[in-house]
Amino acid sequence: MGLLSFFDEAFFVVLFGTSLRASTPLLLAALGETYTERSGILNLGIEGIMLSGAFGGFVVALFTESILCGFITGVLIGLVLALITGFLTITLRVNQIVVGLGITIFGSGMTSFLFRILFGTRFPTLPVMATKMRIPLVADIPYFGEAIFNQHLVVYLALALIPTLHILLYWTNFGLKIRAVGENPVSADAAGVNVARVRHICLLLGGMLAGLGGAFLAIGDLSFFVSNMTLGRGFIAIAIVMLGKWNPYWVLLGAILFGVTQSLSSGLQVLGVDVRPEFILMLPYVAVIIALVFIARNTFLPSALGVPYRRGEG
Amino acid sequence: MIQISRYLSAISSGLAILAALATGAVLLLTVGLNPARVYYELFSRGMATHLGITETLIKMAPILMVSSGLILAFRAGLWNIGIEGQFLIGAILVGWAAPTLIRVLPHGVALLILGLVGFLGGLLWAVIPAVLKARWGLNEIITTLMMNFVGLNLTTWLVKGPLRDQTVVPPQTPVIPLQGRLPFVPFTRIHIGLVAGIICILAIYIIIKKTTFGFQLRVLGENRKAAIHSNINVSRVTILVLLISGGFAGLAGANDVLGVKGLFQAEWNPGYGFASIPLVCLANFNGLAVIPLSYFFSFLIVGGELMSRAAGVPIFFVQVIEGLMFLYFAGGEYFRKRKAGIHGASILL
Repeated sequence: MGLLSFFDEAFFVVLFGTSLRASTPLLLAALGETYTERSGILNLGIEGIMLSGAFGGFVVALFTESILCGFITGVLIGLVLALITGFLTITLRVNQIVVGLGITIFGSGMTSFLFRILFGTRFPTLPVMATKMRIPLVADIPYFGEAIFNQHLVVYLALALIPTLHILLYWTNFGLKIRAVGENPVSADAAGVNVARVRHICLLLGGMLAGLGGAFLAIGDLSFFVSNMTLGRGFIAIAIVMLGKWNPYWVLLGAILFGVTQSLSSGLQVLGVDVRPEFILMLPYVAVIIALVFIARNTFLPSALGVPYRRGEG
Repeated sequence: MIQISRYLSAISSGLAILAALATGAVLLLTVGLNPARVYYELFSRGMATHLGITETLIKMAPILMVSSGLILAFRAGLWNIGIEGQFLIGAILVGWAAPTLIRVLPHGVALLILGLVGFLGGLLWAVIPAVLKARWGLNEIITTLMMNFVGLNLTTWLVKGPLRDQTVVPPQTPVIPLQGRLPFVPFTRIHIGLVAGIICILAIYIIIKKTTFGFQLRVLGENRKAAIHSNINVSRVTILVLLISGGFAGLAGANDVLGVKGLFQAEWNPGYGFASIPLVCLANFNGLAVIPLSYFFSFLIVGGELMSRAAGVPIFFVQVIEGLMFLYFAGGEYFRKRKAGIHGASILL
């Protein structure tokens, strides 16, 4: 195949459609983490939450033969783990890095342990497949139509969340509270905002989305579970949030950048271009660092990110 | 740094370990395994057999080295999360240089130079985050985290491409002959990496407590503004701390290649970084407390492997214990602070 086939519609649809589907877990987790970090919490546990969501979602989907039940389980597991994280970091105000890495190590160990207990050395795959929903008319648009509008429901949900979360964050009273709490909790508190409650809500949202993202990875994108299958996506999500300057639209771009490099690394091999996949896989991380140098140093970090809040200690 | 009595902190670490083991027992019961048998196998094989003790002590060496670097960085308030990348770069450079150096130089000299190569490799991988932090205040958590993934992919490429030993099938660097590896501590099967690791911890302890540089980094860690006002060269301290901290991770890489593996392999990443970060916090950033804790940690890994084979319990069980330990310890931090009368608004701790 020549280089021209890179521009084939079929190749493009596969490349772009697969990238979009493969970036969905990342996108969901990163959107949640955007809110979490905006409220002043750095959650390093989302890697563990995603894994737990993937495991729980897969097991429930396998036994109930219902993809939907799997997704609900993923969300619930994310909720529980975020509750624990919130209790420790917001209520007890302990070190967010220790708690986050603790949740990640726990999630990774627990899912691998339970998987081995349940299935031994077997690797079952789901009998049911996540069904795609093709949206008529728009799916007929050349190139992009088939790639974007013939996807699973969760992909649409993730895409719909972007403008929703953006409007909520910038145009509503609650969004203002979130930004205030992450920026200056002392003033927010003085203005009558319940700092702890806002942070809890954001952390829970982040946990639920990370859990859903994990579940989608195991039962939507793929149909099996293996140990540590998230491969650092939780940490990548954190990077994307920073790259996207805590703005949902930019976060989407970051997620797509990662997704495209992932599928490009295998796509170029298919086309016979001799590039080592590791080189392509390395690019987005380099891009994050370079982008931070050029963009983020002129912008802001939520000022209170990582700092526990206690009244009277401004 | 927050002063919390040693006594209190030792008790709370102990309680966290006990609570984790208790929760683990409940988990084992739930899935229908006998906790008494599992813990018996874990402790007897890990702590009371020759193999268990030897392997545990061998495993301690890289953890001690990585922790030395982490203590230095954390004391200065710098969160170096890039251990994995720094470790791998140090390890692959040593894997590449070792066969030749060991052949042409006297053994002792070659090993010393290789240790330095590993240290420099790790240090090199910390240069970008260190400079970006010092120059523009870019958050080192994120840059070091990114450098991990770059390092992982870079070393995989190197070991599959330019540095690959063409004579064997799996992607790896040439094997270092047994007589070329780290010598053993007399009368044991433990290589001298353990001694080097303890020296690292003691050196860091002295640097932090007794030197001007140590004083400066402690001030920086406690109060950045105070550091600036007292004319401490914050950029210089920041860069030095991050570089040295990366260097120790690279040294751990050298230790594992020269003492344990004898080569650098693709897809090999023991993941000391993410385990050592909570470990160092568990030790309250105290070098001396890291020694017993790293022993317990290595014991969990080694004992877990032996127990897993004997009792048929998946090895991942010890990872569950590890995670629980950190969470319980983090919870305990609240009570320790309250007892000490501190209501910690200090950054991240």
